[in-house]
Amino acid sequence: MSGGSNVPVTEQAGNPRVGEHGALSCGRTLSFSGETRADFEHLLTRYPTKQAALLPTLWLAQREWGWISREAVDYVATLLELSPAFVWGVVTFYTMYNRAPVGKHLIQVCTSISCHLNGAEEVYAECRKRLGNLKPGETTADGKFTVIEVECLAQCDQAPAVMVNDDDHYVITKDKLTSFLGSLK
Amino acid sequence: MAKVTVDGKVVEVPNDANALEACRAAGVDVPHFCYHPRLSIVGQCRMCMVEVEGVPKIQASCTVPVRDGMVIKASTEKALAARNATMEFLLINHPLDCPICDQAGECKLQDNAVGAGLPVSRTSEPRRQFPGYDRTPIGPHVIADMTRCIQCTRCIRFCEEITGTGELTFVERGGHTFVWTHEGRALDNDLSACAADVCPVGALTTKEFRFRKRVWWLDKTRSVCDGCEIGCNMSIEHRDRIVYRTLPRVQPAVNDFWMCDYGRFRAEDLNRQDFLKPEIRVAGSDARKQTNWGEALDVVKIAIDRARNEEKNIASKGRVLVLGSARLTTEENWLLKTLFEDSLKVGTPEFVVDKGPKRRIKNKVDGWIYGTEAAPNSRGCEAAGLKRNRPGDGSALDLLLSKKSFSSSSPAVLYIADAAFTERANDLEFVLLLRQASVLIVHARVKNALTDAADIVLPSAPLSGKEGTFVNAKGRVQRVDTAIMSPPVVRTDLEILLHLGGRWDLLDTRWTARDVFENMQASVAGYEGLAWDSDAVVGNPPSISPAAAYDVLGLERDPDVEVFSRPSVAAPDRRS
Repeated sequence: MSGGSNVPVTEQAGNPRVGEHGALSCGRTLSFSGETRADFEHLLTRYPTKQAALLPTLWLAQREWGWISREAVDYVATLLELSPAFVWGVVTFYTMYNRAPVGKHLIQVCTSISCHLNGAEEVYAECRKRLGNLKPGETTADGKFTVIEVECLAQCDQAPAVMVNDDDHYVITKDKLTSFLGSLK
Repeated sequence: MAKVTVDGKVVEVPNDANALEACRAAGVDVPHFCYHPRLSIVGQCRMCMVEVEGVPKIQASCTVPVRDGMVIKASTEKALAARNATMEFLLINHPLDCPICDQAGECKLQDNAVGAGLPVSRTSEPRRQFPGYDRTPIGPHVIADMTRCIQCTRCIRFCEEITGTGELTFVERGGHTFVWTHEGRALDNDLSACAADVCPVGALTTKEFRFRKRVWWLDKTRSVCDGCEIGCNMSIEHRDRIVYRTLPRVQPAVNDFWMCDYGRFRAEDLNRQDFLKPEIRVAGSDARKQTNWGEALDVVKIAIDRARNEEKNIASKGRVLVLGSARLTTEENWLLKTLFEDSLKVGTPEFVVDKGPKRRIKNKVDGWIYGTEAAPNSRGCEAAGLKRNRPGDGSALDLLLSKKSFSSSSPAVLYIADAAFTERANDLEFVLLLRQASVLIVHARVKNALTDAADIVLPSAPLSGKEGTFVNAKGRVQRVDTAIMSPPVVRTDLEILLHLGGRWDLLDTRWTARDVFENMQASVAGYEGLAWDSDAVVGNPPSISPAAAYDVLGLERDPDVEVFSRPSVAAPDRRS
């Protein structure tokens, strides 16, 4: 879909966290591995209803497969006895569920106000340029890196901040990019 | 019950009612989109704003439960200004495509824009678009156009709460929100078109009715669905002798606000009329010729009289076999019984009912109710005194169908009052068994194998062209009204039977369905004490849209055409 009338569709294309597409298929049926299954069973004990466990279950799914595919939605819906449409509605409501495959390192560059003032836009552009002129949301050919822009990471005191998968990295200026990207390989 | 004051008027409403319903009961219109009497309350649209005494902030009335002594001010300047603002926000992103929108004329957004909105728009920005999610079928019957959606969630709640199938959801959030199904799935359940009914705007429309007629041209006639024995109340919507659609008519005891897709989309079939004139067999030929009613009915009379004489002479009973039909009204079946059994003494008419696929509908009183027969009126047939045929029961029809009878003992005349009384009327083997009769007379509207084999075809009107009553599975007598006069020479089954009876001076040809109803009341079980015009028999009037109909409180029986009454206080002028 498009954004508001002031957000061109093209700028959002390919972003794994914005759905200009419906739920993508991963092409195979999915089910949790033993370890994730155990985590899931443990989760259920912590919530009064199955529906209440939806968000953490989706996190488990994202941890297991890297992104939430159509089949993952169907599987989670079956597990929690919800309609797949309801699960898909939740996935699209929250921004941190990936709706398309991402690289091994998901580099999330904060461009909110503090980071912006400290040159985050340059970092974002440079980062994409060095990884092979990636478009926003694009993944490198070797499947290692995806670069996207995110809203405030709550690290304004150490701007510009970058989050890689689940870890925050602080004061990633343009000069530090070489060593930063090097540390990810 | 709670006593509530609305704009100075005191009304009593049930304790579980909400402020919006109390306003409605007091005759004060509060505009709304997301509130629906049979769906959960979400307070999503923020349109139904009222002031409640003692509460400092303005309230969405559907979310406020009533309490005894509550004072609601529904028409204050503050309330009107709030609705006005809500309306303006909704219209910021709503396309101005009423001229090409099928909902126009029965659109809550139009109604409320006139009743509670500004006369002008203050925005000139481009409107939100949903490329790929507009004008797209999302199910076998429903077409979605998300540019028109106002996010009231009625359709989502309908699929969650009424059908329990949960096909629809909100995708994305904020200004990007739209309603869709999960990828690869369709809005496909047995009541799916009701999602388009509850949609207050043109975001969900039905494929079958789309672009066929502007709704304000449609005439609405009360009728009852003839798809199964549940007997859902419906409104036949027609213009210039064409039926364009049928919509559910609110009936809390039967179908509530709903109607199944099967019943709803039978509407198209009502326009079919294969036989326009009586046809009789040309002697010694395979062909039939068209004729007039005078000649056709004379021939029928001669055939029946000859068979009756044979009956007397050779003392062989069952020379005339009469088949009624559960697809005909009780009045018509009763006439069959009166004429053939009581007056002409040729035996009890029989009828056959097909088992149909299981249909279902949900109402608040009974929950799901199911229909398993393919005809609406088997109860009425039995009440009128017809004999239900069951294979192997040794009746005249059974003998005929079991092939055991030889031509000498097979009936001389087989009179079938509805050529489509069973699915098997298209089955050649079945028709051959019926064809053992030497004269085969049928009332027919649509061609099938049986009409091809018949000697005399009397053209009869469809459901939309007749009057009478059906008895539903719960024993409820429900009236069907004439929507369309059939083409000149076509008659209703009732008229055919009256005129046939008139040939022997046995029936009064001037009778209407109402006269038959009143004459048969004494002898037909379930009809005692009912009045032709009573509310119980007639049901609710067709409303502009079922989504707009109220009767949740049972306080206002009439969910009539929802004319938007202008508030007594003028909306503030916010143009400056």
